[in-house]
Amino acid sequence: MIRTDIVRTYRKIHGWVGIVCGLFLFIAFYAGAITMFEEPVQRWAATPPALPAPPPLDESGLLIDAVLAQQPESARNWRLHFETGPEAPARISWPAEILDDDDHAATPAIFGAALDENGVLVVERVDSAPVAQFIDVLHQQVGLPFPHEWAMAVTGAVGLLYFLALVSGVITILPSLVADLLQFRVGKNLKRMWLDVHNALGIFSLPFHLVMALTTIVFALHDPFYAVQNQVIYDGDIGAQWAQARPPAGKAAECTDLLAPDQLHQRIRQQAPGFTPTIAEYRSAPDGSRVLRVQGYDARYQMRGPTFGIAGADPCTGELIQTEYLPGHQSGWAAVITSFFALHFGSFGGDAVRWGYFILGMAGALMFYAGNLVWIESHRKRARRELPDPQQDRSSYFLGSLSIGVTLGCVAGISTTLAAAPWLPGLVTDAAAWHRYLYYAVFLGGTGWAFLAGPARAALHLLWFAALATATLAITAFVTAGGTAGSGWTIGAVALSGATGLAYAAIRTGRRIHTGPPDSIWSLQTTK
Amino acid sequence: MTRAKLTTEGWFGKAVAGTVLGFILAVLASALFAWFGPGGILAGAGKTQFNMWLVGPVWALVLSFVFMFRRTRDAWLYLGLTSVVLAAVYLAGRWLIVSVPA
Repeated sequence: MIRTDIVRTYRKIHGWVGIVCGLFLFIAFYAGAITMFEEPVQRWAATPPALPAPPPLDESGLLIDAVLAQQPESARNWRLHFETGPEAPARISWPAEILDDDDHAATPAIFGAALDENGVLVVERVDSAPVAQFIDVLHQQVGLPFPHEWAMAVTGAVGLLYFLALVSGVITILPSLVADLLQFRVGKNLKRMWLDVHNALGIFSLPFHLVMALTTIVFALHDPFYAVQNQVIYDGDIGAQWAQARPPAGKAAECTDLLAPDQLHQRIRQQAPGFTPTIAEYRSAPDGSRVLRVQGYDARYQMRGPTFGIAGADPCTGELIQTEYLPGHQSGWAAVITSFFALHFGSFGGDAVRWGYFILGMAGALMFYAGNLVWIESHRKRARRELPDPQQDRSSYFLGSLSIGVTLGCVAGISTTLAAAPWLPGLVTDAAAWHRYLYYAVFLGGTGWAFLAGPARAALHLLWFAALATATLAITAFVTAGGTAGSGWTIGAVALSGATGLAYAAIRTGRRIHTGPPDSIWSLQTTK
Repeated sequence: MTRAKLTTEGWFGKAVAGTVLGFILAVLASALFAWFGPGGILAGAGKTQFNMWLVGPVWALVLSFVFMFRRTRDAWLYLGLTSVVLAAVYLAGRWLIVSVPA
C-alpha cells in the first residue's frame, strides 16, 4: 500500500501545479480539438479565386509549360496538385512575394494558374485561408500572443508541469482508485461530483494525456535539446548526423523532361499501393538539380504530418528514392519517431481517429476546467445554521473569475474568429492579423468582464455570449456551405451542437445563481 | 525509530534540483544511449531524432519524482552524484572508443 504521507504530499503538489498550468492546458486542448477539423475548415473558409477550372491531370502538361515559361518565380519551387478542390483550386501553384508600391515590404503569397479557353495563362492568388493556421498557433502557444520562441519556452514549461500533474494526480487517486472509479456522486456535494468527473476523465484518458504531455515537451523544446546535444554528444557536428538521411548525391534529376503528371501519379501508386498522393512539390537546388517531394495520405498507417506523409521521388522517372517518411514504408528509428508525431496529431486511421481525438481533446479541456472547480469547492466555507453566511475567500472569487473568463473567453473567441473567416478576405487586406485581433478582443474582453462582474454573473453572461458566438458560427457555416464539398455542413453541425450545449449550461447557470446554495461564489443571493 | 514523514517542505529547492539536475541527467542518459545504445552513434538520422526524444521523458520523470526526497539536500546530493557517475561513464566510454582499436 502506498504510504499516506506520500499521497498527501503529491495531492498538495497536484493542486498547485494544476492551478498554475490548468488554464493554459484548457486553451491548448480546446484549440487542439478544433485543429482536428483543419481540412474541413480549409475547404470551407477558402475564397474561390477567379480561375478557370483546373485541367484533367493527363492534360496538365501545357499548363505546366506555360507557368514555368511565363512565371519565372515558379521555377524555384512549384506544386502540382493531384487533388483539386475548394482548398486547392488550381492544378499548379507556387510561392512568390508581392512587393508593395515602394518595392519594399514583401508579403509572401501563393499563386495558382489555369489556362482559359483561348489557351491564355490566368494567374490568381490562391493562399489558403489563415484561420486554421491561427487556431493551430493558438494551440501550440497555449493561447499566448508572444513571439514564437518565447511562447514555445512557456509551452515546454507547461508540458513539464502537465506531466508532473499527471504523475501526482495518479499517486493521489491510487489509494481510492477502485472505490472511486466508476462512481459519479451527482448531488449536493459539488466538490465530490466535480472530483468524480475530473478523476474519471483523467484515469480513462491517461494514456492520451501521457502521450500529449511527453510529445508537448519535445515539440516545444526540440531546438534547445538539439543545441545542447550537438555540443555534448555530436561534438558540434550534428550536421553529419543529418547527412546520413539524404539520398546519395547525383541520383536526382538528370533529364530535360519531367515525368508527365498522370504518369507520375501512376508510378507512385504502383510503388506505394494504398498511398494517395495529393501534392508533388518540385524544387530546384542551387546546383541546378531538381528535387521532387510527394505528399499524400494512407489511413492504414501512422503519418509524420498532421494530415500527410512525405516521400522523395526522382522527378524524371517517378521512382521513390526516399521513403523515410512514407506511411507504411518506414523502418526502424524513423517509424518509431513517426509514431510519436502520429499519436499527438491523431494522424492515423483517418476520420474515425480524428473524431476520437476531437472528443478526447474536448474531454481533456473539461477535465482541466473541473480541476479548477474542485479547487474552488475545496476552499469553500460552509454556511452554518443560525449564523450569517460566511464570506468566501478572495482567492476563490479570483480563481472563479479567472477560470470562467479564460475558458469561456477562449471558446467564444475561437467561435467568433471562425465565424468571421468567410467574410474577412473581402473586408480587410491582412485577414490573418484580423483573426488575431478578433480572438484576443473577445478573449480579453471576456476575461476582463469576468473580473468586473464576478464569477456568478460572468458565468451566465459569458455562457450566453459563447452560445451566441457559436450559433453565429453555425449559421455562417450553413449559409456559406455551398461549394465546400460538404465541409460547411460538418462545421455548422458541430457548431450547432456546441451552441446548444452552451445554451443549456447558460439556462442551468441562470437558475443556480438564484436558487443554488447561497454560501458559494456562484450565488447572487443576499446572505440571510 | 520512526522515519520522518514526507512533506512538501522545501518544495522549491527540490523543484529546482529536479529541473536543473533532471535536465543534466536527461542529456547524459541520451548521450549514453546515442553512443552505446543499439546501433551506436552512426545509426542514421532517425536515431539522432530518437536521442533527442529521450531528453523529454527522462527530464519529466526526474522532475516528477524529485519530491520523494525527504530533504532538499538529499535531492541535490543523490541526483548530483548520479550525474557525476553518468558523466564519468560517458567520458570513459568515449575515451575507450577512441583509444582501443576495434
